[in-house]
Amino acid sequence: MILLEARGITKVFPGVVALDNVDVSFQAGSIHGIVGENGAGKSTLIKILTGVYTPDQGKVIIEGEEVHGASPLFRKLAYVPQELDLFNHMTVAENLFMPFDRTGFEGFVVNRRRMFREARVWLDKFKISAEPTDLVKDISVSNQQLLQIARAAVSKYFEILVLDEPTTSLTTAETERLFSVMRELKNEGKAIIFISHKLDELMEICDEMTVLRNGVKVAYSTIDQVSRQWIIEHMTAKEITEDTVFRPESPSQEVLLDVQDLSGLGFSGVSFQLRAGEVLGFAGLVGSGRSEIMQTLFGFLPARGGRVTLGGQPFALGSTTRSISSGLVYLPEERKQHGILELLSVKDNITVSLMDQVTNLFVVNGRKEKQIAQQVVEDYAVKTPSLEQPIRFLSGGNQQKAIIGRAMNTTPRILIFDEPTKGIDVGAKVEIYRIMKTLAEQRGVGIILVSSDLTELLRCSNRVITIYEGRKTGEFDVETTASTAIMDAMFGESNQLNGKQVKAN
Amino acid sequence: MKAVVGAFKRLRINGVFVALVLISVIASLVSPYFLTSYNLQSVVRNLAFVSMVALGQACLLILGELDLSVGPMAGLCGVIGGLFMVKWGWDPYLSFFLVLLVGAAFGFVNGSLISFLGLNSLVTTIGMSGVYKGINLVISKGRAITGIPKEIHFLGQGDLFGVPMPFVIMLIVMVGIVFLTRYTPFGRYMYAIGNSAEAARILGIRVRLIRVLTYMLVGMVAALAGMLMVARLGSAQPSIGEQWVLNSIAASVIGGVPTTGGVGSPAGALMGAAIIGVIENIIVLFGVSPYWQTAVSGIIVVGAISLDALSRFFATKRKMGGIAQ
Repeated sequence: MILLEARGITKVFPGVVALDNVDVSFQAGSIHGIVGENGAGKSTLIKILTGVYTPDQGKVIIEGEEVHGASPLFRKLAYVPQELDLFNHMTVAENLFMPFDRTGFEGFVVNRRRMFREARVWLDKFKISAEPTDLVKDISVSNQQLLQIARAAVSKYFEILVLDEPTTSLTTAETERLFSVMRELKNEGKAIIFISHKLDELMEICDEMTVLRNGVKVAYSTIDQVSRQWIIEHMTAKEITEDTVFRPESPSQEVLLDVQDLSGLGFSGVSFQLRAGEVLGFAGLVGSGRSEIMQTLFGFLPARGGRVTLGGQPFALGSTTRSISSGLVYLPEERKQHGILELLSVKDNITVSLMDQVTNLFVVNGRKEKQIAQQVVEDYAVKTPSLEQPIRFLSGGNQQKAIIGRAMNTTPRILIFDEPTKGIDVGAKVEIYRIMKTLAEQRGVGIILVSSDLTELLRCSNRVITIYEGRKTGEFDVETTASTAIMDAMFGESNQLNGKQVKAN
Repeated sequence: MKAVVGAFKRLRINGVFVALVLISVIASLVSPYFLTSYNLQSVVRNLAFVSMVALGQACLLILGELDLSVGPMAGLCGVIGGLFMVKWGWDPYLSFFLVLLVGAAFGFVNGSLISFLGLNSLVTTIGMSGVYKGINLVISKGRAITGIPKEIHFLGQGDLFGVPMPFVIMLIVMVGIVFLTRYTPFGRYMYAIGNSAEAARILGIRVRLIRVLTYMLVGMVAALAGMLMVARLGSAQPSIGEQWVLNSIAASVIGGVPTTGGVGSPAGALMGAAIIGVIENIIVLFGVSPYWQTAVSGIIVVGAISLDALSRFFATKRKMGGIAQ
């Protein structure tokens, strides 16, 4: 029986088609896996299925009834987000039954004894090894994860469970416990939607699978027809080879940056070298530690250990000011929060890091300031009505170009791009690829490109390093490696370092 | 005149200035005493102290910070000045200068606690208010230190071509602070930090250093205001500065420096302070009980912040519409 169905769903955001005519249905007593790269449209689909977004076209049908807006039928869905959002300082039982009026605890006073008694039933059912009276902050993460699922299922309307990457922080044994809970729910006739990046888990638990790519449903199959290869092939676009390549030609052999055994928050023992005039890709899933590695290298996050040599000189980590003056510049992923200065003008955003070039004796020279800002706007084709326009009114792509221009005027030797094309439309993406190539080839800048978009990495980089769960799992020459091998290493499927086997964990 | 209008526009305080003129016109219509030179002089003289503190407060607000201890800091600095000059008999000018350094030191304490220990600025400066107020009472025992040397009385009581001295000094401070925020890298970094401290750090800006230095600046400005008040009264009153904290924030917000930071000009704080000063003056001229003044100040603060929030809310709505097109 089909519990939940999406028909012809299309959702467009400014500049991006997030979902394009997607059909998918979820059956009672079945675990349905949804896979796709970041940006493939998984979270948009989930938000439409759970009623957070309204689709531009198409319809959502729950138990045969088309739903709109705030339909009470959405209560049949229980969505469990990736991050824990429990009330840490309240008891397990309170967390389980809040909001009380939805779980049979109506009335002005909550009957605590009854609540603790009934909580035990749920804790047993979901294999949570904790007392109803324990505070959530005192129970283990895996118990919290299960409690979060139990909480979603307590609702008397519950029919469909949506799990968004529930296993990222679980060990193998804990994952098994979660899976046995999922199987029990399945046997009770619930429908389960399971989103994960871990291919082995998907293979183990799912009954059917849908693959999304760039907002399009590219494949569907029942599990007996699915292989790991099948998933990877459908997830990664075949168009990689057809597209133009923006890889810098003939990078030099000069080593600009030598990182040995770098460790920090969420990663450890990362070593690599960056050469002048090359683009070095860093592939990894969100949360793999790739951004943390870069922010630690840059001095934004504290380092726990490691030696870094920059341009042949030992380089002390821990100060962004020193990094910038040594020519190491970081362009952050969170453009709005970390990149632009939202309330300031395009001009002020550009010149803020070029103060030494626009001041005479501690005084800012307004004319020089305008000249330099104008130059950046022209060189990097930033589309803005004027230099005084607040930067927040520019499109993401133009903001990004302004930031790159600003960074380039500090004459960096090394540029770290962290997801530079996130939320940017296709045209602007290509412009940014072209800028990276030019910088590497003409100015000999060493570029590190961090991305979760494998296509992008394959098109732009000379070499790719893969990061999985805070460890380096491989280093590949892009021209001589099959994309599936890189994909494997990104997903922690194999551990390959220059063709040699290395120990994981 | 054109140059003045141009400068006002560049500082984005033309709107507040129009409001100030309007309120002054209303004041002169409702009371014949408003435009008398005696009344105007007293308004301007009173204004000088709050404006000065507000100029400093505005710098902190731009940075996304706040100092609720400016009033007690000014009071304590005044009492310390009295101690130096009267009890210890030090040279008045040397004392005046040393008190400014003491103010900077207080600012350094506030700024270091907030910047290096990462404490919340609101709670820290409320706590420090208690500390400064307490030390003030320990030194003064709650009584005014009288007998301030005559040499420095003119700084508080005198005037230059009819303009009260405190106001002249405040204008000099304003020019300095506006110059600092507008034409120096330091000032640009203040705005950058106010927009996003993380983004500023990624640009290699020494965020913590700039924060501490700005708190020190505010400490100095508060000390200056406190000492000028001592010179004006001819005695170091422990109660100096008690009304300045709320008004300095209100003046900044009215003058276009929002509590969320990153935009605005300290010059606006002067306009804001003037608006508050004129409104308070109207109340006095009307013969309303002075007890109402406190309530009115409170209403002005909350009103100004609400207006600010509302205008941001509508601006955001407009912006969303603009992007969706």
